[in-house]
Amino acid sequence: MYDYKAHLAPSATLADEILKQLTKINEQTQTKTAVIRKNGNEIYLNTTTTNLRKFNMLLNHTHRLPLTNLFCNDEIAINGHFTLYYTYSHHLQNCHFIITVPITPEEPNFPSITKITPAADKYEREIRDLFALEPLEHPNPTDLIYHGNWQNHPPHLRKSVTDLSQPPLPEAKDVPEPALITIDSPDVYQIPVGPIHAGVIEPGHFRFTVAGEPIINLQTKMHYTHKGTEKLAEQMTIQQGFFLSERISGDETFANSFAYCLAAEKIAKAEVPLRAQHTRIILAELERIISHFGDLSGIAGDTANLFLASQFNMLRIMGYNLAHYLTNTRFLRSTNKLGGVRKDFLKGKEHGAVEQLKAIRREIIDTTEIAQNDTMFLDRLEHTGVLYAHTAYDLNATGIAGRASGLDYDVRKNHPYSVYDQFKFAAHHLDCGDVSCRFNVRLSEALSSVNLMLSVIDGLKDGEISVPLPDKLPPYEYAYGITEAARGENMHWLMVGENNTIYRYKVRTPSFCNWMAVPYAVNTNLVPDFPLINKSFNLSYSGNDL
Amino acid sequence: MTTLITYTFLQIIIMLLLAPLPTGIIRKIKARFQKRRGASIFQPYYDLIKLLKKPQVTISTTSSKVLVLTPYILLGSTLLAACLVPLSTKVTVNLPGDMLVLVYTLALGGFFLTLAALDTSSTFGGMGSSRENTLKSIIEPALIIALVTLAIYYGSTDLRKIMIESANSSLSIDPVHLLLLLALLMVTITETARIPIDDPSTHLELTMIHEAMILEYSGRHLGLVELAAYLKQLIYITLIANIFFPHDQLISFGGILGIVLSLSILVLKVIIISIILGLIETNTVKLRFFSIANYAALAVILSLLGFLCVYIF
Repeated sequence: MYDYKAHLAPSATLADEILKQLTKINEQTQTKTAVIRKNGNEIYLNTTTTNLRKFNMLLNHTHRLPLTNLFCNDEIAINGHFTLYYTYSHHLQNCHFIITVPITPEEPNFPSITKITPAADKYEREIRDLFALEPLEHPNPTDLIYHGNWQNHPPHLRKSVTDLSQPPLPEAKDVPEPALITIDSPDVYQIPVGPIHAGVIEPGHFRFTVAGEPIINLQTKMHYTHKGTEKLAEQMTIQQGFFLSERISGDETFANSFAYCLAAEKIAKAEVPLRAQHTRIILAELERIISHFGDLSGIAGDTANLFLASQFNMLRIMGYNLAHYLTNTRFLRSTNKLGGVRKDFLKGKEHGAVEQLKAIRREIIDTTEIAQNDTMFLDRLEHTGVLYAHTAYDLNATGIAGRASGLDYDVRKNHPYSVYDQFKFAAHHLDCGDVSCRFNVRLSEALSSVNLMLSVIDGLKDGEISVPLPDKLPPYEYAYGITEAARGENMHWLMVGENNTIYRYKVRTPSFCNWMAVPYAVNTNLVPDFPLINKSFNLSYSGNDL
Repeated sequence: MTTLITYTFLQIIIMLLLAPLPTGIIRKIKARFQKRRGASIFQPYYDLIKLLKKPQVTISTTSSKVLVLTPYILLGSTLLAACLVPLSTKVTVNLPGDMLVLVYTLALGGFFLTLAALDTSSTFGGMGSSRENTLKSIIEPALIIALVTLAIYYGSTDLRKIMIESANSSLSIDPVHLLLLLALLMVTITETARIPIDDPSTHLELTMIHEAMILEYSGRHLGLVELAAYLKQLIYITLIANIFFPHDQLISFGGILGIVLSLSILVLKVIIISIILGLIETNTVKLRFFSIANYAALAVILSLLGFLCVYIF
């Protein structure tokens, strides 16, 4: 019997011990190791392409630290090479190992680690498309972003590419068929769905291979609306970049701008006033509950449980109304600000907010009871769309998807940011990984978010609501801003350029990781259950197709 | 002969006029349970009128005449079936045809709808017709056993005779009636593609059963297909209303007034059964597709028990 718990248990080894082991690997090839500790919990460490796989084995395999981010940065202007940043998060020690690997423009390739670390798959293909660096021995070196009509695009994220106009689209006959698995059997047929869908959602192609009703394989094809967000950011000032970060994904406005602000404030070494920190927590949690209620309503709606669907929808609107009451915007646009918040949103509204939050809490408790006594409804959720814990770990499924599969990890707890460590709130995780677990984790998380907001309001103290950031941030300084969005861990990496501009802005939303997990959760389920499973993940297309 | 023609026309007109009403009522009930005000109960009428005014567009380049002819065949066969349902003992439509003709006339329309769904060679058409026919074949035993039991109980396969017999017998709670009523209610929910079997209001093509088959239709043809579906729903509701809850024994006088009164009571019964269907719909959730077999098995067992009860009691 495969012991997945042992497979999952993260290493309790101290960060310093791991560092020592990494340095030893570098010593074997006479590579000088420079360790840079930055911004509290980021440990930058250099290595070479030769040692990369050994590093990955040690971190991801021996110590079971998940690969949480991998991106490339064109640093030719600074030091004459590209740099790959491999981020491994040590959740128990609250630190991130960021392994930097230089890649010279003369040798535009790097060793792929996908065979050992499946989570690296999409990142490596992204680098292949956007930087034209080839991952060597990648098991599936196909286009991730520039597929179909997009094929003639230059590697946009290289600094040498300045022409951002659209290359001519190929003739329809020249567009290659998507490289998808076909199975030649009379008993198996394929259902192509999308990229245009019946509902008002964004594009994504799903190719189901089914034997009757059970799904035996699902392939997804995303990135139909690649917006060039990261390239766009490189022409902006730090101030403008803030507005871009708000627009990455409509329903994660605050979580994204929060992460961006954290990164910029770390670089500026700004001390954000306490009242601003508290206001941010309240708005971030408000966005979380709104998103959770929307998802819960969707899950109930997909099982045709009309009463529960409308009940959760009502809760969602109550959340939106509270957001509107506090900030005059339902989607929390432009409420955040570099160095604090834009206005003292809670001034004189504490009492009203508490009343509304208590009303929401009463409704959640009632609705939970109704949901948990509806056996027909529970029967639909249980054992549907199981994402096994080891799959979730291997693909670094984050947020609800990970927590429902037994990965007990929440950025707010494991890598506390802002002042989350000053408050007590319950973190929830369940083990079975089915739709019911994702439903229940969401429901309990919404309730504990409401309680957290109430305790934050309770402890509000008067004070400043923002500090001005320096006019110019130090050039070529960099930092991570990591927040827990409603969908999961949200990682923004920011490097400042000359004259207060953005040199590189890497965004990794939780949807980017979790889209990889959906096909595994769907396998062996029935076709009519797919919308339900998909809704239980509720991933963002916009946050994925940056 | 003139009376027969008049009555037949009367029956067709009443059935057509009444057909969209149950859907309107069910939607209203669902809306009220979701704390919504909901559209008017006449919304299905407005939708039908709108659709019938629009032209049909066929985009598919692979489809044959089957796609174009099916809406007419479907509506025609459903209208024929609608003539075989006894509306009231006061309206005598003595067309030759019994319960089996009724069931299989409806099945003829279903057969053509399946052909049309396959005709455009779209994935969803094939998926929908495969599901619909699976459902039909597992629920058919329940329907046939229930109807045959009624035939044995009342000594005739003619639905009109059954209704008259039922009206004349005393109104007591009879286990045969109770079991068959439940079985036929379950069959009705399946045949009319309602929750817990199918969600008629979903936009998710992967979960659709009936809707997936008619995805290719638009405009007038969609209107005809929808009207046929409404009619089929009304046929099942009327059957339940008139066989299990006959009302003509309450009306002692004949003539025009008798007919009007009898038909009014029928409309009232249709409304009540629609409300019950709406309540069932709000209080259940859609079953997992493979669990529908259990549901069908329950329906078959109920009708079988009813069948046995005929001999026991």
